[in-house]
Amino acid sequence: MYELKSVHKRYGLAKVALRKIELTVQDREFLVIYGPAGAGKSTLLNILAGITRPTSGDVLRNGVSILRVPPEKRDAAMAFENYALYSHLSVGENLAFPLKARGLGRAEVEERVSRISGILGISHLLERRPGFLSGGQRQRVALGRAIIRPADIYLLDEPVGHLDAKLRHKIRAELKALAEDLSATVVFTTTSSREALALGDRVAVLNAGKLEQIGVPADLYHRPANAFVASFVGDPPMSFISVEPRRQGDRVEFVTADGMPVAALAAEAVSNLREEAGSKIQVGFRSNEVRIAEEGDSNALRGRVDVIENLGYMKIALVGIGGDQVSVSVPAGTRLGVGETVAIAFPRDAVHLFQNARAVTHAVPSPGV
Amino acid sequence: MASIKAERLVKRYGAVQAVHGIDFEIADGEFVAILGPSGCGKSSTMRMIAGLEKISEGSIYFDGKRVNDVRARDRNVAMSFESYALYPTISIYENIAFPLRSANVDNREIDRQVRDIAEKMELTSLLDLKPKGLSSGQAQRVGLARALVRNPAVFLLDEPISHLDTRQRYRMRRFIKSLHQKFNYTMIYVTHDQEEALALADRVMVMSDGEIQQMAVPDEVYARPKNAFVAGFVGEPPINFFDCGVVAEPGGWAIEFQGRRLVLPERLHATAQQIGAGGLAAIRPHFLSIGEESPLRLDGKVFITEELQDQNLVMVDVGDIRFTLVAHPSVMPKRGEIVPVSIDPAHLLLFPRSQADKVGSIAA
Repeated sequence: MYELKSVHKRYGLAKVALRKIELTVQDREFLVIYGPAGAGKSTLLNILAGITRPTSGDVLRNGVSILRVPPEKRDAAMAFENYALYSHLSVGENLAFPLKARGLGRAEVEERVSRISGILGISHLLERRPGFLSGGQRQRVALGRAIIRPADIYLLDEPVGHLDAKLRHKIRAELKALAEDLSATVVFTTTSSREALALGDRVAVLNAGKLEQIGVPADLYHRPANAFVASFVGDPPMSFISVEPRRQGDRVEFVTADGMPVAALAAEAVSNLREEAGSKIQVGFRSNEVRIAEEGDSNALRGRVDVIENLGYMKIALVGIGGDQVSVSVPAGTRLGVGETVAIAFPRDAVHLFQNARAVTHAVPSPGV
Repeated sequence: MASIKAERLVKRYGAVQAVHGIDFEIADGEFVAILGPSGCGKSSTMRMIAGLEKISEGSIYFDGKRVNDVRARDRNVAMSFESYALYPTISIYENIAFPLRSANVDNREIDRQVRDIAEKMELTSLLDLKPKGLSSGQAQRVGLARALVRNPAVFLLDEPISHLDTRQRYRMRRFIKSLHQKFNYTMIYVTHDQEEALALADRVMVMSDGEIQQMAVPDEVYARPKNAFVAGFVGEPPINFFDCGVVAEPGGWAIEFQGRRLVLPERLHATAQQIGAGGLAAIRPHFLSIGEESPLRLDGKVFITEELQDQNLVMVDVGDIRFTLVAHPSVMPKRGEIVPVSIDPAHLLLFPRSQADKVGSIAA
């Protein structure tokens, strides 16, 4: 088990890369660090690897500080975005290197090189030098060299970022299966929501050096702690409508600036909604939680189709309602034009509610609706 | 704005031919994505349109006028990568006005055009600032405004949104799309990302090996791919391929796969007849299901289930073929579990076996 205790990292005087990070990496877990570019993901991995020293705070392994343990004495296998392969060695020799360094026998080295290169689809490249490979091929060799040997922890920094969609899809599944089979402890960074949700036993959302939320994928997706996590986890991102609360007996109705009702929740479900002037209250919806209204739908708002994105298996209509835009998933065959007026049906009780970007409640059924 | 036409367009670099005599037409105001893997010829094609590469053979026309010998700067083409270099010492206003001043447009007209585009690009409040201190998104919008203020004949975008996170991708994509809707530029977007191509373009031109494989509206490219390459390159998660036998049935045709037989829908009869005994079948992950009744049910072993929350991706090994299927979030079979996989024949695609190696070449 690894623990980051109040880890702070500053570069120079001004640039803060990590802010007081409290994070535990459990044994045998696949932990994904998910965040935008510049969030501090690589810095966090480098601190776990011992390559970067935190400005303050502590890093523990099984309860003991390892701040003074140099990288080569930490049993961490790394794959970084910039590859760092041995250019004078062939792909096969690059892969075999960590095994030979540990004194493994020739037969076992060959067996593992063949297995890993098969999984990564680079078996046909074993004789080549890294200089003759494409970026995606080099990245797979770097990943292979990291996962070929047993390690206490695997630190993988966007290891499939340079691969095309098809290969990414294949390799992320292989990686997950391999980690399960080996009971490996893995920390993996990504900027892709799908990748984070697909791979992580838990996902840590990092933004501007701050840990926004850590939890199992279902928590982040269904119970995001704030509007940033809500809009960052999920593909397409969650959309929001600004509302004002109106108390009506044991319910609170949430209406747009034009007075159109968006949601109604039990008063007790929103008891931690603070009454303060000027606070920003938003209802959040995932694109598959709303739909184009049919006749007889009672809770529908009219809006204008601003953009239609075709994803092949479905379309996403971006519908302008008041000053906000809402993503709506529509079936592939739907005929819909930009500029058209449509009614959007909202689930009055299945909503995510935020006040000043903090989550107030998620999907609580209200009485009498 | 201009229409664009290419005739038997060829690009050679020394002895290597990158583009093999392609023909296409892009209508005035149309948004076309050129989609393909690296080395397919898409960037060479774009650079020939821009005038950055010499045309080896064939012709390019803007509004019917041959532009082979027109220099790049005289073609009035705007490019997305111009967005990176803003002049640091002058205001945003002057950055946007720069191309107009170079063209000796009078001051009043410059002012009108700069303010007009600044408003459309939501830059009005920034006009008096210097580029330093802008967010990267704002700087990108200023760069785009500067490229667009000249009212270009065609606007070329070369993978402007690769390497962004999921949220930024949506933002940028929607911004580009709304730009097209607002201004109706003729736009060409070069990408290897099939999702961007489908989401953005009016039509998608799929290229591989220096040739156009298909040029059609997104729904067509997705649902009725012309060949196995297009089927394999378009779609996320990727389509499933499997070798099959093709056999005549009383009154029709069927495919055989691992000892099972699936009667083909009528739309595939002609294809089946043409391709003979050995076929390459393809089915999208959305048209496979677990446990449902179907004429073709296969037993497979679950390799892994990815829980994406809004849907689950289940990878199932049937013999030596790994199928990916999209399932409801409540369907989450465990690794190693044996499950029945059903194919919906209504959405099956069939190609000649000879195209199988084209599919393989994508992953290399």
